[in-house]
Amino acid sequence: MLSNRLRLQAEELRVIRGGKEVLKGITFAVAIGEVYGLLGGNGAGKSTTLLTFLGFLDLAGGNARVNDALVSEDVVAARRSIAYLPESASLYEHLNARENLRYFLGLAGSAGDDESMEAALDRVALPAEARDRRLADYSKGMRQKVAIALAILRNTDTLLLDEPTSGLDPTAIDEFHDLVRTLADDGKTVLMVTHDVYGACQVADRIGLLRDGRLVGEFSAPAGGRIDTEAVHRAFSSREAV
Amino acid sequence: MSHVLLLAKEEWRFWLRSNLALSAAILFLVLLVTTAILTTVRIAEERHAREHHQEKAESTFLAQPDRHPHRMVHYGHYVFRTPSPLAAFDPGLDSVTGQSMFLEGHQQNSATFAVSGASADLGEFAWLTPAVVYQLFAPLLIILLGHGAVVRERESSTLATMLAQGISGVTVLYGKALALFAAILLMLVPLLVSGGAAVGRGETVLAAILMVAVYFLYLSIWGLLALFLSVLSARRATALATLTALWLALTLLLPSLAVSNAARFLPIAGQIETGLVMLSDLRKLGDGHNVNDPAFDRLRRDLLKQYGVETVEELPVNLRGVVAEYSESRLTDKLNEYADRRMAMEQKQAALLARHGWLSPLLATADASRAIAATDLNNHQRFLKEAEALRFDFVQGLNRLHASKLAYIDDIKRSSDQQAEKRTRVSGENWKLLKDFRFKPDDVGTRAGNAWPSVLALLVWFAVLSIASVRAAGRIRL
Amino acid sequence: MSGFAPVFREAGLLKRDRAFIGWVVLTLLLSVVSVVGGIAEVSKQRETIARLIEGDREDRLEARAKQGDWGGAAYYSFHLTYDPPSNFAFAALGTRDQEPWKHRIRMLALEGQIYERDAGNPVLALTGRFDFAFFAAFVLPLVLIAVLHDLQASERGAGRHELLIATSGISSSPWRLRAWLKAGAVFIAAALPLLVGCIVSGTSMTRSLMAPAILCGYLAFWSFVSYRIARRERNPSVILATLLGVWVMVGVVGPAAGKLVIDHQVPVPQGADILMTQREAVNDAWDLPKEVTMDAFVARHPEWSQYAAVDRPFEWKWYYAFQQVGDQKAEPLSLAYRESRLHRDRLAGWFAWLTPPALLQRSLQRIADTDLRAHMEYEANVRLFHGQLREFYYGKLFPDAPFDTDALGGLPEFDPGMAAP
Repeated sequence: MLSNRLRLQAEELRVIRGGKEVLKGITFAVAIGEVYGLLGGNGAGKSTTLLTFLGFLDLAGGNARVNDALVSEDVVAARRSIAYLPESASLYEHLNARENLRYFLGLAGSAGDDESMEAALDRVALPAEARDRRLADYSKGMRQKVAIALAILRNTDTLLLDEPTSGLDPTAIDEFHDLVRTLADDGKTVLMVTHDVYGACQVADRIGLLRDGRLVGEFSAPAGGRIDTEAVHRAFSSREAV
Repeated sequence: MSHVLLLAKEEWRFWLRSNLALSAAILFLVLLVTTAILTTVRIAEERHAREHHQEKAESTFLAQPDRHPHRMVHYGHYVFRTPSPLAAFDPGLDSVTGQSMFLEGHQQNSATFAVSGASADLGEFAWLTPAVVYQLFAPLLIILLGHGAVVRERESSTLATMLAQGISGVTVLYGKALALFAAILLMLVPLLVSGGAAVGRGETVLAAILMVAVYFLYLSIWGLLALFLSVLSARRATALATLTALWLALTLLLPSLAVSNAARFLPIAGQIETGLVMLSDLRKLGDGHNVNDPAFDRLRRDLLKQYGVETVEELPVNLRGVVAEYSESRLTDKLNEYADRRMAMEQKQAALLARHGWLSPLLATADASRAIAATDLNNHQRFLKEAEALRFDFVQGLNRLHASKLAYIDDIKRSSDQQAEKRTRVSGENWKLLKDFRFKPDDVGTRAGNAWPSVLALLVWFAVLSIASVRAAGRIRL
Repeated sequence: MSGFAPVFREAGLLKRDRAFIGWVVLTLLLSVVSVVGGIAEVSKQRETIARLIEGDREDRLEARAKQGDWGGAAYYSFHLTYDPPSNFAFAALGTRDQEPWKHRIRMLALEGQIYERDAGNPVLALTGRFDFAFFAAFVLPLVLIAVLHDLQASERGAGRHELLIATSGISSSPWRLRAWLKAGAVFIAAALPLLVGCIVSGTSMTRSLMAPAILCGYLAFWSFVSYRIARRERNPSVILATLLGVWVMVGVVGPAAGKLVIDHQVPVPQGADILMTQREAVNDAWDLPKEVTMDAFVARHPEWSQYAAVDRPFEWKWYYAFQQVGDQKAEPLSLAYRESRLHRDRLAGWFAWLTPPALLQRSLQRIADTDLRAHMEYEANVRLFHGQLREFYYGKLFPDAPFDTDALGGLPEFDPGMAAP
């Protein structure tokens, strides 16, 4: 019953967007409590892969499963069990942090109480004085923190993160990676898309390397250790399959 | 359901924090309320003035001294059309049709002195009425509020965040639609007040409700159009530009093009032109002032035979009066024949114009609105017909007086003999035969029936757009 | 930046802007529709007049054939008066949809006849036709707004704004040039069909040149406003909404307010009062001593004083005298009615300077002789002609000249240009 331990499964995923095949048959799986990094250059198909788990795209072939269930069969159920962090933290500019959280949690059907909301904002280290200001006045890192707080508050088993660290300063990136690790330790499954080789190696249990719509290699961390950054970097830069 | 409410509440919060939406809404409201007050006051004044004129016309007719009855036929009488209660909201045709009419023997005059003629001319839109504000400008506000509903979320990527919380595109649409429809309901409050005021002035509640329903339908169509394009568009600017172009086409271009169309495909000859043919027809009927007109030979023979006498002087009735009554009746038949033909043509033309409502909801709404306000062609023509019935009634009453109360011998000599002239005068008491004239709008059932074809067009627009929007939202793109 | 190179470069860019080309083609199409519709309507009106002139003469002859005296001949003969459309009327039909431009009058009191309206279907009159003046005044600004509002904002949105400015080195020139090119293309698309219409209709040179010149100024105004507002704001939606707001203010709210104020400031006598006064005067005359009527008549026409005695209860000259006196009684009201209408119109003319769409429409209607002033000139013509009719018949009725059908050939003829200075 191996599949019971798997949160996300991609089976021969094929996606055509604008007449172009952007995913050419991708297969991988993410287990419970695992942090999986999808690494690749511009246009490799990383974000597209994420979106298939949310049912935002029509598949030209293959299957995407969340908790063993086909996404295409019940999109809403899939989305309910996933917290998604889009690339540029996409929340309302005209609302403040608390209002944003309350609203999107409402849409998710989980009315967040004030206490847990403050706890989540504490956890992402959003300064208390900023919490009542409109997001329009926030820096990119602060917005990202609110978005992450939302993902945490959703209290789902799975998190999909799209380039979560792009635009963040180095300290913020470190803080974020620590946060992801503690979430994984709590038993959350994290699928994270990035082009930051070093960051991915620092936080991921496994890394899948995407190039031109294909999965060209996978790297696993040794027990108790981290993935070898050098090896991944070499593979990322080379033109051949690993 | 709670999601829909939450989405709608959020949309409202967005509007309330947007200076653009707020200032547009305030501008619209000020425009609407001012127009409503001004139109109501104007119509109330007109109503009062016309009622007053009507009473005055009746009392002066009754106060006429003793005189020859045929003089009263030419003296004539005025009728005035009092505006219907809902005319304060939609004066409709009232501003371009004459509101008073002179009634006299031997001819049907047209309704003269339209209000529009004497006004300062500052372009077609200077004639603002609450109905026009709703028809033309409420859609602009709805476009402004609604165009960004979905595409705004798409542009800022919050749409993805939203959908990722596990709600469907259709739910998003319902939420935005609820917000927009709530705004539309709020926009209808001034109409509700107008309707309530009309009820206070004697309008039926049903008519007021129908009016609100028609405009709700119309504004909802614009709301759905805005939402539909918002769901489909990739950029907010594109959605707004497309909607503006649609507004231009549906509210400014199509209606006036439809008018040109109707005039081209169903031309109506002017009254003077048909009048030429009619005058020639009428002359064949004979001149009712002249008993010796050969056209009345048979009438005279029949009369002599009926009373068994040899000469017209021996008749117990005044031949002149009999001829006047007879010729008036034949003349009126002829006049009505032409009038009916013309009215039927006008109806056909109006129906052709209203059919363009399948292309432009504004035309359908304007048509239905006029019908419900009782300011449409049906009511105008009924005013003409009722005035004509009144004319015929009092003219024939006077002609009967002429036939029964006057001696033929005196009557033929009155132009040359002062004494005979005196004897041909009848008492002013007789003028009481004039009936009161108070124009009543159609009953609400008839009005609803008149409005129905246009309402049907609106319902189809509404249904098609609803289905299209839901289907588009079902396949919503990020 | 010198020479025409930048112009050609920008024009080349515009040629590939599909949305812009779409707007220009739409403008051309609508202009053609409005001009063709206008020409069709004008030629229909001309044909109507031609048919009426013919029918009018026949009808008069037929009506007259039965008559044996001057009074009867005058009573039963109607005379056509008309206001032919000018050779520019196709562009601005103006008041011709609502005000009468043809009458058939006879020698009875004129006040009872001149307000008769041979009006068309009110449903059509209410909406108004799509003539060039309407198209130019209200639709063209919206087209300009549509093509000019996102001039800079779209480049900003696409992140090209800074790049373009950095490349050209001057912060405004590419926009200004682009704005003028776009506005120029819209102007040409709108004016071309108008000029063709002028040639087809044989419009005079002055009119053919004046109309496009006014149009050009009008479009320059809108281009300037669009350009200024588009420069100040970043968000294209805000720009578009603001410009629409300006359109509503100067095209609708302003004119409506102006009309309201003017109508309030300059009261116009109730039309019904004119008719009632005239009618009462005419009817009362039957019961008044004949001298009262004849004295009032002679006061106006002293030349007939020697024939003013009326002996019998009915005489035609007395009948027509009290018709004339009826007009005289209503004259102050009627004059006030005409005066205040013209006064209102003059004020509206001044006010229109604040509301450019109304100004354009009024200017085109002025050029086309389809405004209120032209209508009032027609009315003056009708009054003049009616006066001539009276002169003719008075000359027969008062001296009691023997009836002579041949003398009817000397009746005045209506000439639409008769009152022109």
